Amino acid sequence: MINSVLRFGLIFILLILLQILLFNNIQFSGYVNPYVYIMFILLLPVEIPSWLLLVLSFATGLIIDFFSSSAGMHTFATVLAGFVRPYVLRVVSPRDGYESGDPSMSVYGFRWFLSYAILMVLIHHITLFYIEVFRFADFFRTMFRVILSTIFSVAFILLIEFYRKGR
Amino acid sequence: MRNLLNFLARYNNLIVFIFLEGIALYMLGHGNNYHNSRIVNGVRGITLGFEKRIYKTKSYLSLHDINVGLALENAELKNRLERQPKNESQGFLSVSDSLNKQQYVHTSAEVIENSINRQKNFFTINKGERQGIKVDMAVTSDRGVAGVVVGSSPNYSIVMSVLNLDFKLSARIKANGYFGSLSWDGKDYRYATLSEIPQHVLVNVGDTIETTGYSAIFPEGVMVGTVNNYEKYGGDFYTISILLTSDFKKLHFVDVIGNLKKTEQLDLEKLFK
Repeated sequence: MINSVLRFGLIFILLILLQILLFNNIQFSGYVNPYVYIMFILLLPVEIPSWLLLVLSFATGLIIDFFSSSAGMHTFATVLAGFVRPYVLRVVSPRDGYESGDPSMSVYGFRWFLSYAILMVLIHHITLFYIEVFRFADFFRTMFRVILSTIFSVAFILLIEFYRKGR
Repeated sequence: MRNLLNFLARYNNLIVFIFLEGIALYMLGHGNNYHNSRIVNGVRGITLGFEKRIYKTKSYLSLHDINVGLALENAELKNRLERQPKNESQGFLSVSDSLNKQQYVHTSAEVIENSINRQKNFFTINKGERQGIKVDMAVTSDRGVAGVVVGSSPNYSIVMSVLNLDFKLSARIKANGYFGSLSWDGKDYRYATLSEIPQHVLVNVGDTIETTGYSAIFPEGVMVGTVNNYEKYGGDFYTISILLTSDFKKLHFVDVIGNLKKTEQLDLEKLFK
């Protein structure tokens, strides 16, 4: 118990540092803004109680909001992602169902992890980017940003996951 | 009572969810005031020290460009000083009344955190209330307008960049004086849009766009950009795409401009509205 709290604390801090120090500084044409911190929500154990998942999502979003001076945007999107995670897990569930523990690539395979990550990141990014713009005037341009950023976020999440698996 | 407890047990996730999203929405709704709240200032204090260090390291890479920019600005200012006595020497002036003559105070500041890739971009500068920075002061880079101060703590200020969907500026075509409203469309960090210029006005690609000074925030005649292209919008107006002269990707030293006569102007205008 204490062990896993420590482990997730470490993952949490690493991901947030990565987001703030590295990914928030990627300024590539205004269309690509990878938000990799959402990976923390992806990695939490399957059997985590939903309320704890929501509270952790809230904390994650709040910290990212503080660091990128964007009031409430990330909080809203991350809490929503935390709320839909159980449903997403049900949608992409592997043939043998879940065991308790991390939903990681090493346990359920690459294809499962890919579809899980894409769904979660897409939901998070759609919410985030549309809240950021707060209007539907440039609907397709925002959609384009969502899709490009999702591709990059998922790619980075896969990289990190491969690294974790390799260890 | 038992029904209520059953209900709560069944939908507790939904309730937590709605509660947390409510907090997030509240924060979203009060986005501009939140810089002033104390807790956030405390947290920002910690993170800003951190960001300052990163920014300092990064700024070493562009030292040459910064020096060239500052040298050019110095030369321009010296030229302006040279021209000054000619304008002042007409007639007698026995009392040097510095209070009445000076309308704007300039404070130099360094940008320590900046973004251009969001729809609502802000940047942070290393001067705050203790150095006399107040909300609604104008911020210019060495080449043109950069933003408006929207919040300040004792030692730092947050500036709403021109690259922010909420940013509005009154700007005019230097050649003929017609003014319109400048805003950013969220697409490219190099271009902004000038609207409300009537179609009978002669617009040329390359025309200089400068501030009007109507808002009492920016002084008159600060460079904004040049006309990149223009097209007719609806029946009456042009939509003009402006190439901004400030390069927001390498914003480093900025000038914060306070208007000493602002309250006087605003108070007078309020009387007639």
